[in-house]
Amino acid sequence: MNLRKLIGGLALSALMAVPVSAQTLRYATIGEPPSLDVQMGTATLASTISQHMFETLYAFDAANAPQPFLATGETISDDGKTIVISLRDGVMFHNGDTMDAEDVAASLSRWGEHGARGKLLDMESVEATGELEVTISLAAPNGAWKSVLAFVNGGPVIYPAEIVSEAAGEPIAAENYVGTGPYQFGELRPNRYVELLKFEDYSAHPDAPDGAAGERVANFDALRFIPVPDVGTRMSGVQAGDYDYAEYISGDLYGLVKDDPSVQVKISAAPIFGLMFMNSEAGPMATNFKLRQAVLAALNMEQALQVSVGEPELFEATGAYFGEGNIWHTEAGTDAYNQGDPEKAKRLAEEAGYDGTPIKLLVSTNYKAHFDDASVFTRQLADAGINVQMVVVDWATLLQLRAQPSEWDMFMTHHGTVPDPVLLTMMNDSYPGWWQTEEKHELLADFTETSVLEERQAVWEDLQALMYEQVPAIKVGNLYSYDIASPDLTTAWESAPAFPYFWGASK
Amino acid sequence: MSRYVIRRTGAAIMTLIAASIVIFAFIHLIPGDPVYVMLGDGATPEQVAALRDRLGLDEPLVMQYLIWAGNALRGDLGVSIFFETPVTQVIAEGAETSILLASVTMVWIILIGVPVGILAAIRQGTLIDQGLSGLAMLAASLPTFWVGLYLILIFAAGLGWFPSSGYPSIFEEGGLVNLRYLVLPSLALAAPNAALILRLTRASMLDVAREDYIRTARAKGIRPTRVVLRHILRNALLAVVSAFGFTFAALISEAVVTETVFALPGIGRTVVQSILRRDYPVIQGVILITVCLYLVINLIVDLSYRYLDPRVELE
Repeated sequence: MNLRKLIGGLALSALMAVPVSAQTLRYATIGEPPSLDVQMGTATLASTISQHMFETLYAFDAANAPQPFLATGETISDDGKTIVISLRDGVMFHNGDTMDAEDVAASLSRWGEHGARGKLLDMESVEATGELEVTISLAAPNGAWKSVLAFVNGGPVIYPAEIVSEAAGEPIAAENYVGTGPYQFGELRPNRYVELLKFEDYSAHPDAPDGAAGERVANFDALRFIPVPDVGTRMSGVQAGDYDYAEYISGDLYGLVKDDPSVQVKISAAPIFGLMFMNSEAGPMATNFKLRQAVLAALNMEQALQVSVGEPELFEATGAYFGEGNIWHTEAGTDAYNQGDPEKAKRLAEEAGYDGTPIKLLVSTNYKAHFDDASVFTRQLADAGINVQMVVVDWATLLQLRAQPSEWDMFMTHHGTVPDPVLLTMMNDSYPGWWQTEEKHELLADFTETSVLEERQAVWEDLQALMYEQVPAIKVGNLYSYDIASPDLTTAWESAPAFPYFWGASK
Repeated sequence: MSRYVIRRTGAAIMTLIAASIVIFAFIHLIPGDPVYVMLGDGATPEQVAALRDRLGLDEPLVMQYLIWAGNALRGDLGVSIFFETPVTQVIAEGAETSILLASVTMVWIILIGVPVGILAAIRQGTLIDQGLSGLAMLAASLPTFWVGLYLILIFAAGLGWFPSSGYPSIFEEGGLVNLRYLVLPSLALAAPNAALILRLTRASMLDVAREDYIRTARAKGIRPTRVVLRHILRNALLAVVSAFGFTFAALISEAVVTETVFALPGIGRTVVQSILRRDYPVIQGVILITVCLYLVINLIVDLSYRYLDPRVELE
C-alpha cells in the first residue's frame, strides 16, 4: 500500500465517519466460505450464504416436503422417466434479464454434468420444450427427484444460460454471481466478509411463506457474513452487540449462554451425526461383516457422546438415521446400536477369525468431536480385544488419505441431515468406504424406482436394517449444534435450519 | 558505505532464492491435497482429476517451482486456490490490518517498555524496580489468547468501551475511528513484548552504567539526568533498537493467535487458514513476502547502527 494513498485515505475517511448501517445483518461465521457457486460444492457455509442469491425449482416447506418454487408444477410420464416442469413467469435475474426455459435447461445440464450432486438424478437430457417449460429425461425413474432438485447444498440452482455456458465445469467467478434470489452479490473481501445486498426487483413467490417455500421477504438492506474463527469471540461478539448472529457455538459454552438475557440460543433443527466408515475395498474389514459387527457390538455411544459433546441437552444416542417425526424415521436394525458389550464383541471377533491385526483408524484433530469419539472407541475396542491404531492427521491430509483404500481401515467423519435417504453418503458407491454389495444395489434400485412414498419407506426400512448388518459405517449419535443471536433479531424459524436463512428476518 | 549496501543486498537476494526453494519444497511435502478440500464429500474421481489439471498440480514439482518463481519475479504471486482471487490481493487485504496492528502495538511497546525500563534501571534494587520487574514477568508469561479473551470479556462484552472483534478498514465508513477496533488486540499483543523490551532496556542500561566512562562522567560532575539520558541511554539503546526491528517483523508475521482471538483479517491468520486448506500460492506468497520483510528490516537495523554509534564501521 503506498503512503500517499494511505494518508489520503486517512484524511478522507476521517471526514466520512458514519455509523455502520443498522439494517445490515452481521453473521459471524466459523471461517471463510469456498466458492459460492453452490452447484459445484457441498460446503455448508457456501450453501448458507448462497441460498439468499440463488434459487431452486423446488423448495422445502416447513414439513420438509418439496414444493414448486421457481417451478409451478410438473407432469410425469407413466414410466416415470420423463418429467415436464412448468416455470414461473416473469422471474427476474439480478442482471435484469427474465428467467426462461433456456436458463433452467442450461443450469440443470451443467449441474448434471459437473455438479457436486449432479450424478444423483442420472439425467439423460434436459431440454427447453417451451418458453416456460423444461423436459427432463431420466435414465431410470427416481422417486427422490423432487427432493434432489430442492436441496440447495451442491444442488441445481438456476443461473442465466450465458453465465452457465461460460463457466461450464469451472466454478463461476464472483463477478458472475447472478441468480434470482432476494439478495444479490455485493462484495467478497478475503478474510474480511462476504456481503450480499437486497435485490430491489426481486420476483417473490405469490404464496405465503412456508419453511423455505413461498414468499421470501428481504427486510435487511445487506447481509454481511464475517469470519470469526474463535468460538469464544463469536460468543462475546454477540453479547457485545457486534454481531447479530453467530454459528456453531461449542457445547462447553452452552451453560454460559442458555440463561444469558443478552443472547438467544437457536438449537439446530437438523442434527448432525458422527460416522465411522469401514473400508469395503481393502484391508481386514473389507468383506468381513462379522468383524464389523464385533466392532459395532463393542461400542458404547453414550460414553463417547458424553466425552465429545458433554452437554446432555445437545446430544442423543440414537441409531436411526432419521429422527422421530421425519417421514423416513424407522428403528429397523437399531438393536445393534449402542450395545457396549465387550464380551459379545470378543465372541464375534473370534467367529470372524480376527487375529489381532492392527486396525487403522484415520481421524483428524480439526474436528474435536471426531477425535474424542475415536479415542473413546479405541479404548472400548481394546477392552474387546480389538486392536485399533489411531492415525491422527489434519483434515486436508485425511481427505487425501481416505481416497486411497490401502491407507486406512476405518475413518471418522460426520454427516448432516438430508431430506432423502439417497443423499446419505454411504449410498454413493464412489464415496470412500466404497460400499457396493449386491444386497445394497438391489434395495437401492427398488428404492429409487418408485415415487410412491409408502413403498419407498418400506424399502428404506430394509436398507437401514442392512446398514446395521453389513455395517458400511457406524453412526455415533445425534448432535445438536446451536447458534446464538442477539435478543433483537427475529427470524422466520424457531430452531435453526441446516442452512439458516434470513429472508423474513428483521431486527 | 555504498559498497556495503551493495554487498548486503546481494547477500539478501541469495538468501531470498534459497528461501524460496525451501518454502516451495516444504509446502508441497506436507501431505494433503487442496483439491479434496475444495470439492468436499461428493467429489467423483473425474472431478478431482479435472480440478488438479486446471490448477496445474499435475506438473512435476520442479516445473511448478519454476513457473511460480518466474511469475513471482514479475510480481505475480499467482491466484489463491481457495478464494480464486490474486494472491497479491489476498495479502494486501491482510497487510493493512497486520501493519496497523503491529504499528499500534509498537507504540504501546515503546511508550511503556522503554520509560519503565529506564525507571527500573535508575531505581535498581528498590521496591519500585522489583515491583515493575515482577509485573513484567507476569505480562511476559500470560498467554496472549487468555489476555485477549479477558480484555474482550471486560472491555467489550462487559463495559462496552471497545468493539469485541473484527476490523473494518480505515478506508471504509468509520474512517480513523475504526482504529478503536485495534485497541484491545494491540494491548494483548503488546503485553509480552513490552515486558521483554522493558527487561532489555533495564539490563542494557545497567550494563552501560558500569562502564568506566560513566564513572568518569559522574566524577566530572555532570548532572545525573544528563548522565542517564545522554551517556547511558544513548549507548544502551543500540541493543534495544535492534530488538525493535525484529519485534516489528515478528508482530506482523506471528500475530496469528491475536488475529484469531479478535477475528482480525490479518496476515498471520490468512497463512494458517491457507495451510489448513493447502492453498499453496497464498502460503508461498505470504512466506516469501515475510522473508523479504525480515531481510529489509535486518538491513535497516544494521544501517541504523551507524547513526546511533559512530564507532560502527560499515565495511
